[in-house]
Amino acid sequence: MEFRFSEDQLRLRDHVRDYLAKAHPPERLRALDAAGGRDNAIWSGLVELGLPGLLVPESNGGLGLTLLEATLIGVELGRANVSEPLADTAFVAAPWCVRKGEKSYLEGLASGDVTLALTHDINPWVADLDTAKGVIAHEEILLTRPAPKQLNSVDPLRRLFASGELDGGDDPILLDLAALTSAAQLVGAAERMLEMAADYAKTREQFGQPIGAFQAIKHHLANVALAIEFARPPLWRAAYTLDRGQGLAPLHVSVAKVAAGDAALLAAETAIQVHGAMGYTYEVDLHYWMKRAWALIGAWGDRTFHLKRVDDAVIGGTLPLGPDATFISEAPHA
Amino acid sequence: MHLAFTPEQQAFRTEVRAWMEAHAPKFRDLKTLECKEGFDAHVAWERELASGNWGMVTWPEEYGGRGLDLIRWLIFEEECYRAGAPLRANQNGIFLLGPTVMEYGTPEQRARFLTPMAKGEIMWCQAWSEPGAGSDMAAIRTKAIRDGDHYLITGQKTWSSRAAFADWCFGLFRTDPESKRHKGLSFILLPLNTPGVSVRPIRQLHGDTGFAEIFFDDVRVPVENRIAAEGEGWNVAMATAGFERGLMLRSPARFQAAAKRLVELYRANADRAAPGLRETVLKCWMDAEAYALNTYMVAASIQAGGKIGAEASLNKIFWSELDRSLHRAAMSLLGSHAELRPQTGANEWLDGYIFSLSGPIYAGSNEIQRNIVAERMLGLPR
Repeated sequence: MEFRFSEDQLRLRDHVRDYLAKAHPPERLRALDAAGGRDNAIWSGLVELGLPGLLVPESNGGLGLTLLEATLIGVELGRANVSEPLADTAFVAAPWCVRKGEKSYLEGLASGDVTLALTHDINPWVADLDTAKGVIAHEEILLTRPAPKQLNSVDPLRRLFASGELDGGDDPILLDLAALTSAAQLVGAAERMLEMAADYAKTREQFGQPIGAFQAIKHHLANVALAIEFARPPLWRAAYTLDRGQGLAPLHVSVAKVAAGDAALLAAETAIQVHGAMGYTYEVDLHYWMKRAWALIGAWGDRTFHLKRVDDAVIGGTLPLGPDATFISEAPHA
Repeated sequence: MHLAFTPEQQAFRTEVRAWMEAHAPKFRDLKTLECKEGFDAHVAWERELASGNWGMVTWPEEYGGRGLDLIRWLIFEEECYRAGAPLRANQNGIFLLGPTVMEYGTPEQRARFLTPMAKGEIMWCQAWSEPGAGSDMAAIRTKAIRDGDHYLITGQKTWSSRAAFADWCFGLFRTDPESKRHKGLSFILLPLNTPGVSVRPIRQLHGDTGFAEIFFDDVRVPVENRIAAEGEGWNVAMATAGFERGLMLRSPARFQAAAKRLVELYRANADRAAPGLRETVLKCWMDAEAYALNTYMVAASIQAGGKIGAEASLNKIFWSELDRSLHRAAMSLLGSHAELRPQTGANEWLDGYIFSLSGPIYAGSNEIQRNIVAERMLGLPR
């Protein structure tokens, strides 16, 4: 039993964080928002870091790492609000291909030349369908598809398309991988929104002092820190058990996604409140993260869906409960 | 990262489980720790634990422990709660003072205080708060004036849990009468039967006399009862508070056991539960899980040489508010039965709910904890 990341894993995380802080500042988001579409320069940078091949086996040109590293980096993608289809293609499509024995796309995925879009019955949209080489639908990879019809998302940086005639299917592995990745990004978005609100509270002055000196503001932000602190451990556990394909991984993913979504929503609403009227403007960067949080909370199983899965195991099921059951990995048969 | 117990850890669990199953059942359904009869029954449990050498498994063998690591400590606690074993009468000693003496005490002090603590021979209580120093602990006024190789203590402490039944107390006293705030305080231990000490029990919300005031009237305490240097008391006390808010005082097992009972209570009363309560029950279970997972992360970090900082404050807010939510949900499920006390035994949910209301207050109120989080973790101005 050792519930901690290795020094190597944390170094990789720090490396990605430092890179994104320099290469992917909020001005980048504003430029993307103004221009629409995607930015090849951002994608090339992510490719140079090797991120598209993070989960592709080394024999296929990837780094051969695990969902633990992917989840750590997923948090960084959420912190930086990366909108390129990296999470979907590298942290969902690639491990899905590995598990399904779909080897033909792995090298292209690792080199960043190929991206795959994801369809699933749980979502009424497909993200980044127009630029994808293929689309995972109903446990297959389709190379031809109907002309993409773009949808409007509240998040100006998401590019969503109607699934139309695509039959998504209900592949549980795809769902769990994507829900885990969404949860990671939600935790990252929550962290960043908390930082933005804390920074604002340190500089904005009213009544002759920074508003962050007032207890009302301190306690609001402490509540956000609390929600984030206790959303992280379930996220890491879900990454660990899903990586090993353990029987309780779907439950762990659901626990992680509910906690991450709750933390992100609290962070968003609190950050807006702490920013006051400034928070209600398009000028302050905050809204990009808030809208991404709204989108990801609903994506890949909304709160109701995941809470229902927890319910089915805990109240309605045979999951062992109690102090000695924290690290069991398989549910007993009824 | 490795999220499974090793065969050795599992063997340890089996060993604890077997011992608990043989010894804990006759200590079930004890009276509350907050009355004399209940306290004595809990002290008997402390001695029973000591008889099996289970007093404080993480301490070195020379002090009555087993020299085990924090993972085994968590396993031990899980098995205690699984077996329905009583709470620890000496929790202030073993969880708070013990680690403090281990870190700041001299070898003589460690030998003198730790072994009897692990053996359940001396029961400890805290002496921090004063009528004028609650959340603002640096406002402490009780004086300990040096007189040769003794201190003469004069003043008053309050809200001292189980002081009416305990043998010794530990706390902060002002050894420099000219000093202000955090300076000039020292960390001193003394027996409650020292001449000049009087203890006045205070009746608590639930009707029992769990806490007490302690009055000091020229109480002579030898200088060797001081932990760390004179005037260094504040730093020592902050370390103790860290133990209290952090890993030791409230094991996740406590809340996981309660969450399990809550799920069972919900299943038995599902047909009459309020619509929103099902989600509350699930949230309590998920939060108890999150707290347990977080504790295993903290344990791993400490074993790798890390320290708990202001995160301990997040911990304290989390478990205390989870405890209240758990018991509030149970009270709601019990409906019109919630208020009733049975002729024999206890209404555990009612007593638990009443006790849970103290959690957000003791060990530093949650308002103070939120200030600490905002100032030390988020960097907001003081």
